[in-house]
Amino acid sequence: MNPALPSPAHSNGLGLLAQHGEPAASVEIDGLVLGYRGRPVLQGLDWRLQPGQVVGLLGRNGAGKTTLLEALLGLRDPQAGEVRLFGQPAARLDDAARARIGYVPQANNLFEELRAGELLAYFRSFYPRWNEAKVQALLKRWQVPLDVEIGRLSGGQQQRLAIIRALAHEPDLLVLDEPVASLDPLARRDFLRELVEQVLDRGTTVVFSTHILSDLERVAFNVAFLQGGRIALQAPLDALLDEALVVSGPEPLLDRLPDAAVLARPPGRRLLRGLAEAQLPAGLVAQRASLEELFEVLT
Amino acid sequence: MDTPIQFQINTGSAEPIYRQLMDQLRRRVAAGQWKAGQELPSVRELALELAVHPMTISKAYSLLEAEGWLERRRGLPMVVAAGHARPAATRDRIEQLRPTLARAAAEARELGIPPERVLELFERLLHTPEPGAPR
Repeated sequence: MNPALPSPAHSNGLGLLAQHGEPAASVEIDGLVLGYRGRPVLQGLDWRLQPGQVVGLLGRNGAGKTTLLEALLGLRDPQAGEVRLFGQPAARLDDAARARIGYVPQANNLFEELRAGELLAYFRSFYPRWNEAKVQALLKRWQVPLDVEIGRLSGGQQQRLAIIRALAHEPDLLVLDEPVASLDPLARRDFLRELVEQVLDRGTTVVFSTHILSDLERVAFNVAFLQGGRIALQAPLDALLDEALVVSGPEPLLDRLPDAAVLARPPGRRLLRGLAEAQLPAGLVAQRASLEELFEVLT
Repeated sequence: MDTPIQFQINTGSAEPIYRQLMDQLRRRVAAGQWKAGQELPSVRELALELAVHPMTISKAYSLLEAEGWLERRRGLPMVVAAGHARPAATRDRIEQLRPTLARAAAEARELGIPPERVLELFERLLHTPEPGAPR
């Protein structure tokens, strides 16, 4: 254990207290605006990630998940707004803060002409901390050959290598953009276990975008829904499943539901939170929602 | 030989994982399959085995402890609480099945399936050995 490191959060995910004078949040985003060629993508987005939280980021194709994660990492300049990581502006992170971040991008950014062993040796030189035992164990377990050029590895092998690279320096913040898209179900499960272990051992803050809802349901304690260029809702998933109701019925009846309880208004339905089924006017039908149904109405 | 304590979860349901774990434990204990004094896997072990966020496991364990199903012992694994050595009365166990069946009944009505066909299906399911459910 390195005493200079933030102590592992006891991952209660409910907003940890600042320790050792650190800011409370790993990520603070305020009023983020970002678009391409006049097409707005992020429109005044606010977001907080607390230390030790594992947050699943959900959104339709084209909603701007990758843009948001790239802006979060300081890889894109926003047109307005502010992004801070560990209390520092994301665009001007010092090396120490940079070394605390692990990133698995959606598109592979590995150097294709290098071999896996050369790539890892190269990255190792950048980081003050590097868990070689973990790297070796994962390479073996995930069967990534060290002596083949990366360009000749399969998509799944490249993705595993990208994950190993992102975990090797034991980051405090792990940003994963569709990290499992090319992995088979067993490799995905093994990857999720690795993530759970990071959370258990180090209290790592994780933000994770994926379309594989079953993975998200397992490891994400919190879910954030990206819609209309903002985080429409972020909440603990179990509380949402417990409390959210999808109510359907005639629009005039739906319109009489108290605004404070309405999370979303797709045609003919409302997503409610904080209202018991017994409190609903007659003529409306309520159903509890699965994550997939929440995804449908909230994104 | 005690029945080993193993949990299974289903993703994609409206039932959060912590409640699936709680329901399973209550059913197994009520049926007398998991007995007083049997040790639960640690939060760490179960989180890694199921690949589930550890807070989900600790939430289920804490709530089960508060309900008196589990006992915490300092520095030792949690155990099924005393007082659950024998299976609960059949009447109590039936009550535990009620919410699930009430939901199934409501769905059968919505689908307009006649009661005798529903019962026929249920009968068949009762006599089919449990498939290797996905974990």
